[in-house]
Amino acid sequence: MSFLEVFQYTRQDSVIHRLDPRAKLVMSIVLAIISLSFLSIVPLLIIFCCLIPIIAAAKSLRRWGRSMKGLSVLLIFIIVFNTLLSTATNPFSQSLALTLRLIALMTSFSVFFLTVHPDELSQALIQMRVKFEFAFAMSMAMRYVPTLGREAYAIMDAQKARGVELDKGNLLKRIRNIVPIIVPLIIVSIRRALSIAESMESRGFGASEHRTYMNPLKFRSRDWGVVIVSLLVLAIIMYTRLFIQLPPWALWQLPI
Amino acid sequence: MSLIEFADFSFKYLGADSLALRKVDLKIEEGEYVVITGPSGCGKTTLCRAINGLVPQFHRGYIAGNVIVDGKNTRESSVAELAQIAGLVFQQPENQLVTLNVEREIAFGPENLGVAPEEVRRRVEELIDMLDLDHLRDKHPHEMSGGEQQRVAMAATLALKPKVLVADEPTSNLDPKSAEAILNLIAELNKRDMTVVLVEHRLDLVSKDASRVVLMDKGRLIADGAPRDVLTSDLCQEIGVGIPKATQLYKRLKKRGITLDTVPLTGAELAAIVQEVKRR
Repeated sequence: MSFLEVFQYTRQDSVIHRLDPRAKLVMSIVLAIISLSFLSIVPLLIIFCCLIPIIAAAKSLRRWGRSMKGLSVLLIFIIVFNTLLSTATNPFSQSLALTLRLIALMTSFSVFFLTVHPDELSQALIQMRVKFEFAFAMSMAMRYVPTLGREAYAIMDAQKARGVELDKGNLLKRIRNIVPIIVPLIIVSIRRALSIAESMESRGFGASEHRTYMNPLKFRSRDWGVVIVSLLVLAIIMYTRLFIQLPPWALWQLPI
Repeated sequence: MSLIEFADFSFKYLGADSLALRKVDLKIEEGEYVVITGPSGCGKTTLCRAINGLVPQFHRGYIAGNVIVDGKNTRESSVAELAQIAGLVFQQPENQLVTLNVEREIAFGPENLGVAPEEVRRRVEELIDMLDLDHLRDKHPHEMSGGEQQRVAMAATLALKPKVLVADEPTSNLDPKSAEAILNLIAELNKRDMTVVLVEHRLDLVSKDASRVVLMDKGRLIADGAPRDVLTSDLCQEIGVGIPKATQLYKRLKKRGITLDTVPLTGAELAAIVQEVKRR
């Protein structure tokens, strides 16, 4: 699953990392919409060439490369099957464009997920009027995923030590083997949840109507800049897409 | 008036068969360092919960008597209100860390209470400085050791500026070295005028700093007094509380007819007494 790495936050100090998450969200969505509005090779290549510098500015080019390498099997798969099964006039050209679009789409969203810390994300949600409890639940889920994972492994070891053969038998048997892991895991988690609730309660969770935040996000001029440029580009692209006939070079297709 | 006052307080958890606390009468004054000990299931944890209102506000049950903390009756005050008077540190550090990094963790409490951001920032910096957490600042709880986690949990509790720190076996999941570090930290806080109520089994490490030891068994207080008095009574053996080795030696010597001048609580104290005897 190494191709999912582009959607994982990496701690870096870059121009993109310092942008406000809301500005980055707008930018990512605009980039995604633009990638979705073309389905021919040349414009998609141009978009692709615009995305690479953004990833480079986030100092994550190597990570992106690794991800794409992990994804390459899937991409080749898409190209082969699309070419064979497509009914378009130039099936290979068509599927190449499709693949490029997928890469562009993934890259657009990775700009957001690579550079936004989960804390910033929940802070952004809160400042976008999402209720604190919901945003906090999300960040807490992220907090306790590793803990839960470790717990699951501990339970697996304990059950194996008692002679439960977890990785033997046919598919049905293996599915049934999950039961002795999942049941204790649920019980342990409920207990843990109670204990967490106790600790949060004694630190005043939900006590004040007007909760304050130590690091509120501030929209600075560069964030406005990013938003305005993004929206401007979106407007121009939408206008050309809807009202102007694309020139023949933009619609160029491979002859196969 | 005492900072914490239990007046004939009894409590039974909903669905439990027996009382968790039976007619507890206890007064704790400002500046004290009270160590509570006793066999497991004797009601120590319930006592801690009663101090900051988790009992009866969070854990429901049958209740008799009153607990008055800094003039507030815990029956009528919310946990959040009481949290600013009595800060609770729990057994499992993992379950007390609910955010993704240390700064946020410390800020969590004051933020909940609506403290101004500048003041929150000030408290965070102060506590990071005081508990030596600077190298952990950006760490995920998952990346820290148990001892470090417990230190952060303590900082997060202290961020509410409580008058009394209540710690419920804060070292039970830690290795001996981190446990000692945490206990030293608590003793240090006590010297800075923080009232401390500590539930602890390792009397070896805490009795030298404690101003008072309380023994509990089956929901009752069975002994309450200065460490030297309580630890030399026979009650400790009866209920199975491990007293410090040095004190044990004092008791054995006494049984054989040799009474030392003072009751030693630590190896160092014992050594000093032996040296004194040798010189004579």
